[in-house]
Amino acid sequence: MKHAPTIIVLAFLFLLPVVVLILQAGAPGWRFPELLPELTFDGLRFLAARPKPFLTALASSLGYSLTTVAVTLAMTILPAQVLAFRSFPGKNLLEGLLLLPALVPAMTFSMGLHFIFIKIGLADTTPGVILVLSMIGYPYMLRALTTGYTLMGREYAVCARNLGASKRRVFLEVEMPQLLPAMAAGASVVFLVAFSEYFLVFLIGGGSVASFTGYLFPLITSSNRGLGALITLVFLAVPIILFIVLELGLYRYHRKRWMR
Amino acid sequence: MKRGIIHGLLPLLLPYCALFCAGLALTLAQSLGLFLPLGSGEVSIEHYQTLIQDQGIRQSLGLSLSVAFFSATGSVLGGTVLALALWRMPPSLRRVGVVSKVGLILPHVAVAFLVLLLLSRTGLVASVLFQTGIISSPEEFPSILHTGSGLGMILAFLLKGVPFALLLIGAVLFGFDIRLIQTARMLGAGPLRTFRSVTLPRLLPAMHSAFIILFLYAFGSFDIPFVLGESHPGMLSIRVFDIFFQRDLSQRPQAMAILTLMFVFAALFAMLYNRFAAYLDGWRRKL
Repeated sequence: MKHAPTIIVLAFLFLLPVVVLILQAGAPGWRFPELLPELTFDGLRFLAARPKPFLTALASSLGYSLTTVAVTLAMTILPAQVLAFRSFPGKNLLEGLLLLPALVPAMTFSMGLHFIFIKIGLADTTPGVILVLSMIGYPYMLRALTTGYTLMGREYAVCARNLGASKRRVFLEVEMPQLLPAMAAGASVVFLVAFSEYFLVFLIGGGSVASFTGYLFPLITSSNRGLGALITLVFLAVPIILFIVLELGLYRYHRKRWMR
Repeated sequence: MKRGIIHGLLPLLLPYCALFCAGLALTLAQSLGLFLPLGSGEVSIEHYQTLIQDQGIRQSLGLSLSVAFFSATGSVLGGTVLALALWRMPPSLRRVGVVSKVGLILPHVAVAFLVLLLLSRTGLVASVLFQTGIISSPEEFPSILHTGSGLGMILAFLLKGVPFALLLIGAVLFGFDIRLIQTARMLGAGPLRTFRSVTLPRLLPAMHSAFIILFLYAFGSFDIPFVLGESHPGMLSIRVFDIFFQRDLSQRPQAMAILTLMFVFAALFAMLYNRFAAYLDGWRRKL
């Protein structure tokens, strides 16, 4: 087995932490110097006794993250087409500028934006949180869609137009199906960015927008490590479930179109 | 024609200006003493002058830069090595690489929590060492976290960064035309030579973009330093947070001045690094 070292390194880096989390979640009392945990499931019991803050935080996080995905998609679908198919002076500079929100520290613009949001009443609201998350997320969607459009080319669309299809019909029936993989890739990244963010939700949401990261945060430093580990596992499970659903959905969609 | 382009770009340009540019403009304005919560004062650069003289800010800058540099370099190297190792595997075995997604999915806060669980003085690694008799008390465990060196933060960033670099570099590598390598080998190049002149140049663009993204992210990030960092010297982001939330409003411009300088640094770094990488690339081709 000459590939064993690679597999061991991968397992050590990424599987071991998950195993530790699972054990810790089952045994909140597991701490120095015990090597093997004693399973008690106190964390689960705690959660079952007081599910409301947990569920509120999870629902709120899921809600604003999925909305952020939709907003970034709406923001970038036309611009991605322009950037993929048109050339104009200053295009490289514009593309560079449009990538900046994902590159520069989010703090630099969000703290100024916070002040504006206070003045116009968007601070401490879910729409405010969605707007700021869309800003740090859209560059990933833009990149994915621009690549998608470039790979697709414009021949199909031109052909469909020549055959008399309306612009809307061309988009829905010719371009969209081919763009779906790129959309799914962009959406996965944007979702992860939004779902993982702690600071921006805390700053713009000001405590009145519940977030799952915000729910985890105090648990990290508290003595209730078991609950912290349990929540971290949910963090792992939710995106994985969503990605599987997305993958299955895409598969079924393509199969259905193929059958027709 | 021209109008079509502008119309097509509008859905993005409007929010970009209204949120990103306006936010930046306000950060800049407040750093100069304008539009403050207590009203506008006069334009002054005194807050920048205080910053330049501040010893503590220099230490914070040093810490931010070193954490960003070491975590980004380590991530890119680790990601490249893992990508190459996976690439050499038969395709059916390559799927094991999927476990690295764990690092991509877990939020920074959760990764910081993992580092605490494993590496704190009463963490799991200390327990293992204690049980095997290598150390006899938690105090003997070398302190990795909260030492001022930023080692704990670097480890947390590595856990997030290695899978990211692996993703970017693997994407190039797994789509690689194997015939290029076969040709090089047939023409008599050794494995090392083949790697240096055929494989590496094609990986470099992905390695450079991974480095820029990871470096700037670690440089300006908040979540991991907030859990694993310490207040002295403290990363720049933590210092901004302290001034912003824990001191009185009169110090607000100073926080905004740090942020403005961080923005200028990040934008310049991305631009110059790109130029530099392109220059190196061109220079290598001439050789």
